[in-house]
Amino acid sequence: MAPPTGPRGGTHRYVPRGSRGGGISKRRATTKTDRDGDVAMDAPVSGGANGNSVRGGVTRGGRGSRSGRDSVTRPTRGSSRIAQSIRNYGTDPGRASKAGFGRVTLKVQGYRDNKAANNSDGGRRRLLEFIERKASRPDGSKPVTIGKTVVDDDFVWISVRKDDVPDVLRVSGHPYAGAPLTITETDEKMPNPEEARMSQSALELKQNMTAVLAKRYNAEQRLLDLSALGADNTLVGMGTFDSQSTAQKAFKVLMQIVGLQYKRPDEKKEALQAVSLARNDIIDVDQVFSLANALPDLKRLDLSSNKIETLSNLSKWRNRFKQLEELHLTGNPITALPNYVPELLQWFPSLQNLNGQQVRTVEEAAASLKALEPTPIPQFPSNLRDGDNNIAPQFLQAFFALFDTDRARLAVEFYDEDSLFSLAIIPNSGRNLPWRSYMKFSRNIHKFNSRNPQLLQRLFSGGSQIGDLWKALPATRHPSIEEPGQWLVDGHTFSHLADPSGQVESAMGLIIIVNGRFEEADASTNTFGTRTFTRTFVLGPSKPSNPPPRHVYRVISDQMTLHDWTASPPPATAPQPTVESQAPIPAIPIHPTISPISVPPPVVGAMVPDENMKAQLIRELSKRTGMTLEYSELCLTGVANWNFDSALRAFEEQKPNLPSTAFVSAV
Amino acid sequence: MALSRSETSIRCSAEAAKVFVDWYYQSVNEGKPVAGAYVTNNATYRASGHPPSDICANGLVVATPEEWDQMLAQQRFIPANAAASAATTSTTIGRSPPSAVNYDVECYDAHVINPDFRFAAPPALLTDGKAHGSGESNGAGVRMMVMVSVSGTVTFGLEKDAPKQHFSDVFILVPNWDVIAKHGSRGTRRYIVASQTYRAY
Repeated sequence: MAPPTGPRGGTHRYVPRGSRGGGISKRRATTKTDRDGDVAMDAPVSGGANGNSVRGGVTRGGRGSRSGRDSVTRPTRGSSRIAQSIRNYGTDPGRASKAGFGRVTLKVQGYRDNKAANNSDGGRRRLLEFIERKASRPDGSKPVTIGKTVVDDDFVWISVRKDDVPDVLRVSGHPYAGAPLTITETDEKMPNPEEARMSQSALELKQNMTAVLAKRYNAEQRLLDLSALGADNTLVGMGTFDSQSTAQKAFKVLMQIVGLQYKRPDEKKEALQAVSLARNDIIDVDQVFSLANALPDLKRLDLSSNKIETLSNLSKWRNRFKQLEELHLTGNPITALPNYVPELLQWFPSLQNLNGQQVRTVEEAAASLKALEPTPIPQFPSNLRDGDNNIAPQFLQAFFALFDTDRARLAVEFYDEDSLFSLAIIPNSGRNLPWRSYMKFSRNIHKFNSRNPQLLQRLFSGGSQIGDLWKALPATRHPSIEEPGQWLVDGHTFSHLADPSGQVESAMGLIIIVNGRFEEADASTNTFGTRTFTRTFVLGPSKPSNPPPRHVYRVISDQMTLHDWTASPPPATAPQPTVESQAPIPAIPIHPTISPISVPPPVVGAMVPDENMKAQLIRELSKRTGMTLEYSELCLTGVANWNFDSALRAFEEQKPNLPSTAFVSAV
Repeated sequence: MALSRSETSIRCSAEAAKVFVDWYYQSVNEGKPVAGAYVTNNATYRASGHPPSDICANGLVVATPEEWDQMLAQQRFIPANAAASAATTSTTIGRSPPSAVNYDVECYDAHVINPDFRFAAPPALLTDGKAHGSGESNGAGVRMMVMVSVSGTVTFGLEKDAPKQHFSDVFILVPNWDVIAKHGSRGTRRYIVASQTYRAY
């Protein structure tokens, strides 16, 4: 069913297609709207309703088709336009009496291509105003107004006064919203959109359908009884069951009208909790699929005494009706199938009562519904396994301090001629700050094809090149690496890097992934603010040839991805001295040896881990603390309440009091 | 020529990253297991004594790729018994439930961190000169260890206002010799995961 075209249709929003014979038959003519987008259901008949020439006709249902004076009385247009219309009509007393008299039909082509065609009314209103404005003399001495308008697939047909024709034709060739308009005079008859007959019957149809619904609604039980629709005299009288397809369409229409009865979804959810579709000869729920769209929160559904044979006849509703608690299939062949009950239990997570039998308890239903909710992988503190020599924290501390203050020195000290650096940005992640300063350096392979020269150009190699690039980037200030809640640092050592000395086959490396944020001050755009970033370092042993001051390691690879995931609005102009107002990154200190005690609770939503996760938490805590699994579990289940972080803290506090048996092996 | 060789590596690493990222997130979004793409499950690497893939998800060390698959499955909303029951019941009806968790990759970048990766490499790829007569000299653009840094959005749920998180996923990829040694082979498993560090917040 085509959606209504009127943007503010109100209660008239839905007008079904087709009208002949009062039934619901497939017709090509669609809803017509007037100039303001209202669905005009009440327009009178205008002559010659043969409809043959209409393709998707939409009329402007205004002056031309009605009394010809509608625009005078319609309040929705601008007052100057009304005045203009009054002037026009006033100076030509003869013309309004008969639509089309002394008028010429013009065809406007090209409006489909323009940008405004995506407006809610297809850009018609703007188009007409544009033509009127352009055709009118600038001094206002001869305003031009367009009369009757009909829109079909290719043209806008407009009717204008004969003496306005040259002025209107002058507009032809003018670009309008990006596409040139072509306006030509034509002798063809303006297509007639069959307006009156269709809307009349549409209105009738809607009234009939609404009456059917009203009759079948039981407010007390919040039940819409749509059983045995085939025996409904009103529907039968409308020709609803003349064929299978009309019956299905009629059901869709009914569902649409159900939707229109309620302004808000929660109102609908409250007022309509049960539907009976019993005794409707339903073979496959596809025939009544729209129920799932109209009433997704249905709690009780009666499908008894239909002709549903197999699970696949029900499968269209799989994963629909998540709230469905009660389902009746008695009197359908499917109930003879051996396996259908467990299958349905899976399809409908809230189902508790099937054919009058309890199949789940309330609690089980709640649990199975809950199981459908995705549960993000829980957040653990930073996990840095750098071989216990504290290289990573030291490196990061030195690195970010120098990056904020002396990037040239940083590039010289930690990078050599083979070091790589690149940055990539995700501009659509937020508009906290402009992206301009980074845009031309962004190396997002996702957006590049493999032949793109920027693949090479935007990969910076060698300390001097990298240092030069950094000079061009905005100034930054990273929080102290020891500041809790600001950093998430993961990493580990790995083998099989190339050994720079060439003595052994492979060397150990250290990969560090930092998720954090920094404050940025961009002099070129004069903006301040906070940016979030992910930065990946691969460290490897220094080359013997590296100049002093030689660290034992050098940066092999440094990749920075900038994003903007802060939820709060951007700070106006002043730099934000604190970052507390920003959406915090759940984080714990980077290494237990740095600040094991002053750990804030991680900012993870209340999370109740399942058994599997609990086991993981226990193992992890045991690994970190050296406690036995039993003690780790005790620690987690106690005050910590499965909060890993609180458990760690509790451990630190209680450590001296713990018996030696609490630890895996007494040392 | 040194320059063209590094150019080859850069282009090949980008290509490898693209193939891998496309395959990986499509699999994850479709609920297909990804464990096969980890060094842990590669016979050649294991036979040569390579340590298992290092997987760390939101700060938690994940022991095996299979466990990671399980965590991803758990994160998706499919009830624990759904997969099993779908396998047992002969009636595979309609489509499988739409995955409620969707990873949308917005950005990735790749660096060759070891352009001369030799571990467990077949001798043919280690010798100087032409390998397989294909012009791929000395395994350039093949014998690479590549760091791939991926960022994007993960959406939990199908509703329009479903909660979202930012994710970053950093991989170290190494050549899958079994596939590369076969001349002309292309496809998803040319590189496998030696390390993965995942964070979503």
